[in-house]
Amino acid sequence: MQLIVTAINKAYSSVQAVKNVSFHINSGEIFALLGPNGAGKSSIIRMLVGMTKPDSGSIMISYQEQHYDHVPRRLLGYLPEDRGLYPDKSIEKNLLYLAQLHGLSKSKALTEMEYWLDVFELTARRHDELKQLSKGNQQKVQLIAAVLHQPALVILDEPFSGLDPINQEKVVLFLQQLKAKGMTVILSAHQMAMVEKLADHMLLMAQGQVVLAGTLQQIQQQSQNQRQMKVGFSSEVNMAQLEQLDAIVSVQQLQARHYLLTLAEQAKVSDCLKLLLQYGELTQVEMQSADLHQLYLAAMARHKPEAAA
Amino acid sequence: MISRQSLIVARWEFLRFFKWKQQLVSYLLMLAVIAAIALWSFFTDESQQQYRIAVPPELQITNTEQFQFQRPGIALETQLTQMQSDGSWHAVISLQDGQLVVHTLTGKKWLQQLDEVLQKHYRHLAAEQMGLNATQLAALEQSVEIETRYLDQAYKGKDTPEKMIAIGALILLFVGLSTAFGQVLISITGEKQQRVTEQLYAIVTPQQWMDGKVLGHSFSALKAMLTSALVMLLSFTVVSLFAKKAVDLSWLDISVVLWLVPFALLGVVLCASFMGAIAASIDDPNNSGKSAVMMITWLPMILTFIVIDSPAGMGMTLLSFIPLTSFAAMPVKMAMVTVPWWQPLLSLLLLLATVYWMRRVAGRVFLRGMQMYGKEPSWGDIVRWALSNKAD
Repeated sequence: MQLIVTAINKAYSSVQAVKNVSFHINSGEIFALLGPNGAGKSSIIRMLVGMTKPDSGSIMISYQEQHYDHVPRRLLGYLPEDRGLYPDKSIEKNLLYLAQLHGLSKSKALTEMEYWLDVFELTARRHDELKQLSKGNQQKVQLIAAVLHQPALVILDEPFSGLDPINQEKVVLFLQQLKAKGMTVILSAHQMAMVEKLADHMLLMAQGQVVLAGTLQQIQQQSQNQRQMKVGFSSEVNMAQLEQLDAIVSVQQLQARHYLLTLAEQAKVSDCLKLLLQYGELTQVEMQSADLHQLYLAAMARHKPEAAA
Repeated sequence: MISRQSLIVARWEFLRFFKWKQQLVSYLLMLAVIAAIALWSFFTDESQQQYRIAVPPELQITNTEQFQFQRPGIALETQLTQMQSDGSWHAVISLQDGQLVVHTLTGKKWLQQLDEVLQKHYRHLAAEQMGLNATQLAALEQSVEIETRYLDQAYKGKDTPEKMIAIGALILLFVGLSTAFGQVLISITGEKQQRVTEQLYAIVTPQQWMDGKVLGHSFSALKAMLTSALVMLLSFTVVSLFAKKAVDLSWLDISVVLWLVPFALLGVVLCASFMGAIAASIDDPNNSGKSAVMMITWLPMILTFIVIDSPAGMGMTLLSFIPLTSFAAMPVKMAMVTVPWWQPLLSLLLLLATVYWMRRVAGRVFLRGMQMYGKEPSWGDIVRWALSNKAD
């Protein structure tokens, strides 16, 4: 399977939800769409699923020498952002219904269901009505519903939302299993630490536009001028004053009197230090490479003035 | 035309609302209530009892099975006191200034029958005074038999068993469409609120989904109609048994009933598709006025009922060909007048074509409505989608 998205645009009334977005995904990859609420991730997902069509640009999905302008239903496993199942029906009834709609025989559906219920430790609760489950467990049932029929492509819109850290880790394992089974996965998320562990490629979006794209290493390289400095002061300083400095893009407080500063591209470290000394005595200065979370925040911070302009 | 997925959706929808235990209990309760009413009527039937009536000596009235007239030969006041104290009489009749007065303790149903007996007695008395003999009196009391002969050979008559079947069919359609009304609304708007819709969209096409819904709820409506018909027949049997009458179902004309089936089936599917389209356009049933529009589906039965006594008239003819009303009107017309074979066939074909169009409209409204993400479409949008031929 290969998925190529070329310069797609989508507008709803006066809102331009997606602006000139392009990317491609290869078979067996985990591809992450990242961005804040309203970045355009769900709009892209709905175009991939075929619920809406792009105003311009193209989507091409190639599978076994066939080409489609959206993911065919038989190849798709989907966890929508707006999700739910039948609360007054049992886990088993919900899953068997959806599996049979996907074309699975009852016996095949039962085998698959038992496997995934075991993975998510829900076997003992298979006859419980969905409304009796915690939100986290309901989310797990939704994830099972998306993959029960072994689709070639799984699209998961915010799979980590509503889950505690332990269950988030279980979802990471679940996604790794999907990859091991040869499925291609597209997911959207805010949880950078999770995505960092999983995604082969990622697309950072803001206000409908691509901000950063590539593998984690490529994104780090793209942001290599994006230097970060961890500093400690002998006394508390005003963060707002630091943020107003031209040499600094963003400020994040790490602990009392300790801050992580993202430096502007042209800023010299020595000049920054001179400026910082005006606010107090420095007890720690350490340069560091940014992780995905920090790159994401910095990219968002950089993107804000453009959007305002 | 109907895909495997649609059949799976239909089965799911049918079983979702098929709570057989509750239904069985409700039918048993209904039968128990009918039986209780019949028992109550039986044990409180005053016409089966005998009543003692005190009358003045000059009132020479003959006893009947129900009333025994006694002439006690004591004063009226004493008679009234005895009636009150030991119930010697159920009523005391006196003649005061030429006026007949009935004294009794309280209002009773049998007083009306007593009144009829007294009226009859005085009519006979008046006839005798006029010198009429028994034959003349009988001739006077004989009501005139008027027979209406209809020149239109197709008209089967006014109060025929066929008319009972026609009215029964209209009642059953009401039952079926009321069932479908509630279920379609709950099922479609409920799925939207439970956020199942987008998940299902990724599995089945909007048309498959809507076909399944319509089919499932049509089956539910037909099941409600069938069980209601059985309950009606059972109730009829129970009432007949309590009334000590033989159960007579000879009026049930199977050939007419067989004609009702395809019209009822297509009518229910048509109305369920219409309801599906309206329900699919409702985002929040608590804040939408659109659900009331679904009651339009009751109009065909109401309009047909209004013209039921003129089955060969212009009104019924018009209703029996308009596809939106023909499912109710044509079977009624067929039950009451003989129609040429091509009329029901043409009506059925027109209805079939309209059902096909309506289910496509419902599928389109569902798809377009879902693409509006929480915004409810206007009537203008719905009409535009209905008339659009755009592929889904």
